[in-house]
Amino acid sequence: MNHKLTAALVGAVLIGTLPFWATDQYQLHLATLIGAYWILISGLNLVVGYSGQLSIGHVGLLAIGAYTFAIVAGKHELNPYLTLLLSGGIGGVCGLLLGLPSLRLPGFYFAMATIAFAMIVSELLLAQGGLTGGGVGLPAPTFPAPFDTPAGFYWLTALIALIVTWLSWNVARFMWGRGLIAIRDNPVAAQAVGIPLFRAKISVFVFSGVTAGIAGALFASLQGYITPDTFIFELGLFFFVCIIIGGRGSILGPFLGTVVLTALPELVAPLAKLGTLFYGLLLLAVVLLVPEGIGRLVDVGIARLRPKKIDSVLVNPDTERLATAVKRGRSQ
Amino acid sequence: MSGLQVIEASKSFGGVAALSGASLALQPGEIHGLIGPNGSGKTTLLNLLSGYYEPSAGQVKLNGEDLSQAAVQRRAVVGIARTFQKPRLLPTLTVLENAVLGGWRDTQSGFVATALALPKVRAEDAELQERASELLHGVGLGHALNRRAMLLEHADQRFLEIARALAARPNYLLLDEPAGGLTGAEIERLGAIITTLRDCGLGVLLVEHHTDFVFRLCDTVTALDLGRVIKHGKPSDVRADSNVIRVYLGA
Repeated sequence: MNHKLTAALVGAVLIGTLPFWATDQYQLHLATLIGAYWILISGLNLVVGYSGQLSIGHVGLLAIGAYTFAIVAGKHELNPYLTLLLSGGIGGVCGLLLGLPSLRLPGFYFAMATIAFAMIVSELLLAQGGLTGGGVGLPAPTFPAPFDTPAGFYWLTALIALIVTWLSWNVARFMWGRGLIAIRDNPVAAQAVGIPLFRAKISVFVFSGVTAGIAGALFASLQGYITPDTFIFELGLFFFVCIIIGGRGSILGPFLGTVVLTALPELVAPLAKLGTLFYGLLLLAVVLLVPEGIGRLVDVGIARLRPKKIDSVLVNPDTERLATAVKRGRSQ
Repeated sequence: MSGLQVIEASKSFGGVAALSGASLALQPGEIHGLIGPNGSGKTTLLNLLSGYYEPSAGQVKLNGEDLSQAAVQRRAVVGIARTFQKPRLLPTLTVLENAVLGGWRDTQSGFVATALALPKVRAEDAELQERASELLHGVGLGHALNRRAMLLEHADQRFLEIARALAARPNYLLLDEPAGGLTGAEIERLGAIITTLRDCGLGVLLVEHHTDFVFRLCDTVTALDLGRVIKHGKPSDVRADSNVIRVYLGA
């Protein structure tokens, strides 16, 4: 537990002081981008990593959040903070509209439905030129001071990312998290203990829509200018791959996945040349070597630090204790 | 009429009758054995009780309330829990977390309250963990609370599944071949657990191949063959019944 706490503190200090030790503006831009992506991915993680619903189309929700921000805060000059919330709200509503018909579909077909959704959003952005600027795109405004500098905007993004991470961590660590994993690993058992499968799935899906919408608004403000080309299908696949490489049923793993997959190709020049090939190779390596994801490697590392004890004894049931526990339950 | 009942229930799959007009009544405080050869309809009947199948004809009732069309999830709410022939656990979660999951029925916290980790969510979770931990100690898994479920021995997986079912505070517990794959000593453990539950007032339905175990443990036994009840009564009567002997010995 102490190892975890120390690691969390070190991580928090590193993240909080990044603008002071980042060597150039580009690194800061990259860190902010990771923050915006992570806001989407930490919500999506509950859908993909916990409840096992393979959504590849969240790039569509990201685009909706981004365009909402560019149109409402940019063209119509509404307060950026209000617009940020509005982007989250619209993302949530779109998540609901997408989830209602599609979450009843079995895995493969659900994935197809989310891809179709992303395609439809992309086409609508091009077709509704009057609203979205069509292929030319739209400028997106920055946030007012003190968040108008690169460092300020980084801190705003980091703060929102922290809040969203806390929310999804809470979902994951209490009953809902266990329920979602039950839906993923054994829906029959999930039903048997009384989990309403569809309602649970739609709840996390709407949450992921909200986080995707918020991420979209921050993403638009960070880029300063958005076009439909920004929201290509590969970006949706990228979010999905971050979670799979990070490991399902973990929060730290997908976070590391997001950091590594966003930063490495940008910071290591030879990898940038490889582009998508790098993602492909990394995905292949993880799926073949550590199918539980890189988050699992961290777990194993921590476990090594602990003393090992294995006892496999046949323990007789403690019938008195059992009777007490059962009777207490029945009298409730 | 009290108890959990199947009344004149039939179930067919594409014209093949798995169950034809079978009835069974499970009372609180009894161990009720359900025996029969392979394909006699035991598991089908259990699936009608737990809601995975809807009867083609006939009814499932709990204390007079018709449950025939009620969803599986509804059974947990009204106090019916079950285990599976092949234990259905969550392999990556710990033993404790698996058992806590059974307490879903008593989880009042919605998604938003959980995301905000409101104090009532924390309190509720702590209480359900405590309940699960007591039950696990009770079934003899107290030493393995933090072990991943996939690392458990087969028998311990079965006991874990029973603990998970009990975490839902059921009045009726349906066990699908719980002795399957267990050694003699483990079967003794299982018997002690089931007897304890009966003495606490639970109605336990024991679907089992292992007839010695059933006749030794049960208060009532129902024997099925080809989807019909061929004998129902005290273990000694069922064991002595000529139809039952014929079905089991193939004579």
